Amino acid sequence: MNESQFALRVRQALNQGLHLDARVAARLRAAREQALAHQRLEAAAGLALASNALGRLGGARGLSLRVLLPLLVLAVAFATTYAWQQQQRAAELEELDAQLLSSDLPIDAYLDQGFAAWLKRRASQQP
Amino acid sequence: MAQAARLAAALAAALLLTAAPAGAAPEPDRRWQQLSAEQREILAPLEAEWDRLEPVQRVKWIGVAKRYPKMTPVGQKRVQSNMKKWAKLTPAQRKQARENYRRISKVPPEKRGDLRQQWDEYQSLPPPKKPAPAK
Repeated sequence: MNESQFALRVRQALNQGLHLDARVAARLRAAREQALAHQRLEAAAGLALASNALGRLGGARGLSLRVLLPLLVLAVAFATTYAWQQQQRAAELEELDAQLLSSDLPIDAYLDQGFAAWLKRRASQQP
Repeated sequence: MAQAARLAAALAAALLLTAAPAGAAPEPDRRWQQLSAEQREILAPLEAEWDRLEPVQRVKWIGVAKRYPKMTPVGQKRVQSNMKKWAKLTPAQRKQARENYRRISKVPPEKRGDLRQQWDEYQSLPPPKKPAPAK
C-alpha cells in the first residue's frame, strides 16, 4: 500500500464516520483526559521552573542588583586604593620631612635655587 | 537573591582583607585640643595655625611627633626651630625644598663635607659667583 492509497482509505474511513460503542468511547475519553491532565501538570511545572530561574536572575530588581553590585564593589575598590595611596604618600612625606627638618642645614638652604647644584658640582670636582 | 547575598558577603570579606594592612599605618587627624599633652609639647610651635592646617598636613605632623622621641637631641632642637617656618611655606616651596633635600642627600657624604660649612661658604660667595638658578 503506497501513500496515496493509504490516504484514500483514511478519507473513506473518515467520510463513513466512526461508530464506536459507548464503552470504547468512554475509555478513549478517559485516556484523553488523563493525557491532558498530565500535560497540564508538566506545563505548570515547566512554567514554575522558568519563573523561578528568572526570579533567581532577579527580574528587573535583581538585574539592577547584578549590575549595581559589581559597580559598587569597583567603586569601593577604587576608593580603598586611592586612600591607601594617599596614606603611602603621607607616610613618605612624613619620613622625608622629619629627616629634612632635623638635618643640619637650615630650611633656607633647601629653598635656595642654586645651593644643591653648587654643592653637587663642588663634590664632583673633589678627587 | 541568596546567591547575590553570598556574592556580596564574599566581596565584602575580600575588601576587608585588602583594606586591613592599610589600617595599621595612619594616625588619625586631630584638632589641637584632641592631641595628647606630649604631642602638644612637641608640636607647640604650630599651635597658632594647627587648626587651619590641611588634614593631610596635620596627620603628617602627628607622624613627625611620633618619630620625635627617637631623634637625637640636636635633631629635636632643629625640628623645633624649623617647624614653624616649614608650616608657613607654600606647597610649591615645600616641594622645591624636598627636591633639593633629595639632591643634596644623593651627594656622597665624604665628598660633600660638612654641609653647614658648605652652606656658610656658599652664602658668603659674591653674587656673580653664585650659579644661575637651576632650571
